[in-house]
Amino acid sequence: MRAFRFSLALIGVLLLPLGMFAAPKKEPGPATVVKPKELSLVRVNVTGQPYDYVRPWQKRAAFSKRALGAVLPQGRVLVTADLVANQNYVELERAESGEKTGANVVVADYEANLALLEPTDKKFLNGLTPLQLALDTVVGDRLAAWQLEATGALVGTEGLVTTIQMTRYPADLGQFLTYRISISMQYRDNSYTVPLVKNNKLAGLLLRFDPRTQVLDAIPAPIIAHFLKDAETQHYRGFPSAGFGFFPTRDPQLRSFAGQSGKAAGVYVTSIEPHMPAAKAGLKVGDIVVGVGNNEIDQNGNYVDPLYGKIEFTNLITARAFAGDTMPVQIQREGKTMQLNLALDHRAADDYVIPPYNIDRAPLYYVLGGLIFQELSRQFLREWGANWLKDAPQRFVYKDRFQSELYPEGNRRVVVLTQVLPANSTIGYDDLAYLTVTKINGKEIKSLADLAEAVKQPLDGFIKIETEEDPKQIELEAAQVEAEAAALQQNYGLPSLQRLE
Amino acid sequence: MKRFAFLLSALLYLNGGEIQAQQRTVPPPPGATSVATPTPAAPQTLIQAPAVATRPNGKIQKSLVRITATEVEPDYRAPWNSGAIQRGIGAGFVIEGNRIMTNAHVVSNSRYLTVERDGDPNKYPATVLFVAHDCDLALLKVASPNFFKNMTPLTFGGIPELEAVVSAYGYPLGGERMSVTTGIVSRIDFQPYTHSSIDQHLAIQISAQINPGNSGGPVMQNAKVVGVAFQGYSGDVAQGVAYMIPTPVIQRFLSDIKDGHYDKYVDLGLTYTKLQNPAQRHFLGLKDDDRGVLVGTVIAAGPSAKSVQSGDVLLSIDDHPIASDATVELEGESVEMPEVVERKFKGDVVKIELLRDKKPVTVSLELGSVWPYAYLAHTYDVRPRYVVYGGLLFQPLTLDLVDAYQPTDIRIRHYFDYFVTEQIYLEHPEVIVLTNILPDPTNSYLAPYRASIVDEINGQKIRTLTDLAKAFSETPDRFVVRMIGDGPPLVLDPKEVESARERIKTRYNVVSEQNLEDQPARPTPVDQNKT
Repeated sequence: MRAFRFSLALIGVLLLPLGMFAAPKKEPGPATVVKPKELSLVRVNVTGQPYDYVRPWQKRAAFSKRALGAVLPQGRVLVTADLVANQNYVELERAESGEKTGANVVVADYEANLALLEPTDKKFLNGLTPLQLALDTVVGDRLAAWQLEATGALVGTEGLVTTIQMTRYPADLGQFLTYRISISMQYRDNSYTVPLVKNNKLAGLLLRFDPRTQVLDAIPAPIIAHFLKDAETQHYRGFPSAGFGFFPTRDPQLRSFAGQSGKAAGVYVTSIEPHMPAAKAGLKVGDIVVGVGNNEIDQNGNYVDPLYGKIEFTNLITARAFAGDTMPVQIQREGKTMQLNLALDHRAADDYVIPPYNIDRAPLYYVLGGLIFQELSRQFLREWGANWLKDAPQRFVYKDRFQSELYPEGNRRVVVLTQVLPANSTIGYDDLAYLTVTKINGKEIKSLADLAEAVKQPLDGFIKIETEEDPKQIELEAAQVEAEAAALQQNYGLPSLQRLE
Repeated sequence: MKRFAFLLSALLYLNGGEIQAQQRTVPPPPGATSVATPTPAAPQTLIQAPAVATRPNGKIQKSLVRITATEVEPDYRAPWNSGAIQRGIGAGFVIEGNRIMTNAHVVSNSRYLTVERDGDPNKYPATVLFVAHDCDLALLKVASPNFFKNMTPLTFGGIPELEAVVSAYGYPLGGERMSVTTGIVSRIDFQPYTHSSIDQHLAIQISAQINPGNSGGPVMQNAKVVGVAFQGYSGDVAQGVAYMIPTPVIQRFLSDIKDGHYDKYVDLGLTYTKLQNPAQRHFLGLKDDDRGVLVGTVIAAGPSAKSVQSGDVLLSIDDHPIASDATVELEGESVEMPEVVERKFKGDVVKIELLRDKKPVTVSLELGSVWPYAYLAHTYDVRPRYVVYGGLLFQPLTLDLVDAYQPTDIRIRHYFDYFVTEQIYLEHPEVIVLTNILPDPTNSYLAPYRASIVDEINGQKIRTLTDLAKAFSETPDRFVVRMIGDGPPLVLDPKEVESARERIKTRYNVVSEQNLEDQPARPTPVDQNKT
């Protein structure tokens, strides 16, 4: 027995120098990547309860999610925003002891999919080591995905960063930097938010994982850093955007049409969003953007990043700049080179005619004699599930997709009649659904507030609703609607007949 | 009358060898269960059928015809190709004047037709005399005088009563020789006719089993034809639901062709809704007499455009009062309001009494067809229209195109769905889509433009395929093609395109670079228009 033990120890000694020689090769051994010296994770338990956009007066059944949070300096915990969307209650749990405390969401950015939590008990995170950010991840690096076993033991799975590129995040607004990692990771009960770590520093947070192809997309540390820096300010502003659409200039015919004679470079501006920085700075459709912040842009729309090499120029706007910054943009207009200064700003979901997402907020609605009116939103269309683009009412999908073309003036909502609750005042209207309201009692309707105001002024005792689609007009008797309101509310169990705020 | 409510489940043609299904639904609310829930099938047991003592309809073999059609289905994805060749079997029957009646879908796109009769070993070549795709009927003739010897022409009856027993004759699957099935009249109602897909006419639902191969066969009662079997649901959607074309539709077809030309159904060219809401009725100044329907959209290209307005209330049509549920009483029966128009012909005048701003107005409309509907209907016997320029394939947006490409592009789907009701045809009588690109050095960078709709070429609005062909026939320094919506212009150098022409034609076997006219797919028989 004794001899046996000795020989084991000898092997250990023999191996050690090998490991030391291997280190400079920039291939961190599993020991350094996977095993943290100290624990830097907490469990996060969230009870979420999304609003029901089809029955806007109620919430859906509550459900719980378990996830991991990365402990950051100043007693904060980082998770994905998806996790805390429509949350009712957030709770932190120490993995090693099972001790729990409530937590508040300090900031949530649903576009970058990041949220910052703070325990109600300030001492709760004592003993955990805050994670620093690793901002230098490049293609070829190995990152470890940290998960916890049911026992609280830490499990690390290593993966290889194969691509760093701009992709769309779940909110589907603009492009963000993304690490793509090839990793064979198991689902565990806390797989919702998985931190990715490089040398015991936080390199990213799981965005999506496809177990079939074993490809993981991660929100990278530079985006996290941007979020955290913004979160330090009094008012979180969000990631900036410029507000123009573009197209590569690979086609020599297109370049020549746009007046470019020299070397191929830049992107062709195809559209300008109204009231956005590009519009305000005077960028025009047909301009070629050849430089952003003095970085040259090639005909594919890429600049050369010191860390990543060629990557799409939108990274310069979302990750490298902040709302309020001025971004010099070099353009070619009819062959002449000029510079525009874009005062970058964040475009809030509320600034769209048809908001791209509504989270943590109750949907507005107005019930009038059984006719249910709502403001059109993508959140409503998403109620049709993953295939909403095909399954949701196609006319509304079209309006959402081409909203800046259809409502170029902006600064309004689209009010729609979504369904009819059969009642005495809606006899004969039961089959009406998904109609776009244009006028009520002769007044143009650009929001649900407009509608609430307009219905108060009936025409000779009638409320006349005009719609874009057939039947084009719907009438109700104002007195009857008023008289039957209470019965309708009781009959269908509506807590309220309207929500305008 | 054209149909805007979409089919809730799959309706199939009953032409042997060819099954075409159509499925479009209004989106149900999320989470709703499907409307067409298949019912559990009853256990199958063989029941001995009671022996039929007599044959109430006489010897139908003396009138029944088996039709073999060789068809060439146009290829909308490679429209210069002649298309796939297929063969189908259908039924037909002899009527007066040595003519054979069958369904339009039995002989659509046919290149060669033969007919056979009972007890005669010969196959006789036949030709199409008239075809009406909007009501799925056709008449054939056979050159050989021998064919009609000893054949008995069938005569037509009226609309059979509900629950009356009828027999269907034809050549459905299951054997070679004539088959008879019986059933009762289950329902008499307006139904979509799936052959054109846009038309809706009176149809009679029968419980007699009819299957692929029954198409065009007579449905008989008391030795008279009371219908032509034409469509039904496939077994996985609904059982025992088959439809026949009733005699009013058949008689209308026979009358229409009397002048040697089929003029198609006529239409009012408007949409309307029922007026069953009391408040709405009061608002519009209507009496409590359950009359009137509300006009929604007046199609600018239709007969009502000049005399009817959105918001008018239609009170009567040809002095038949219109009930608030859009029915009229015709010969003692309550029928849908369009039935009055259904029985009319091109150029006929219809009188409409209506209420506009609470004042009575009487208008007369000269009926005609509404051309934009043609883009929403299946077409047959014509070659697809297209233009190939620089390897770019441009085609007008039609139902056949949508079926061939199943476009997912939201804008294309919107332009198709709302072509008539949003009057898109006023600005774009044809919606020209860049449907496909035949890759070549001259169009290397143009793939992202696929599935976009052409708006302008060099500042010239493109309203039709002919406009597009004309624009491309000029030789400017360059073509700047603007597509609808936000997007870069598509820029082409005519010189480069010219130099690539032969190369593209050869490489992709593009036999012809354009087809601008609705050319008949087969040579018109010289005697087609003579009766």
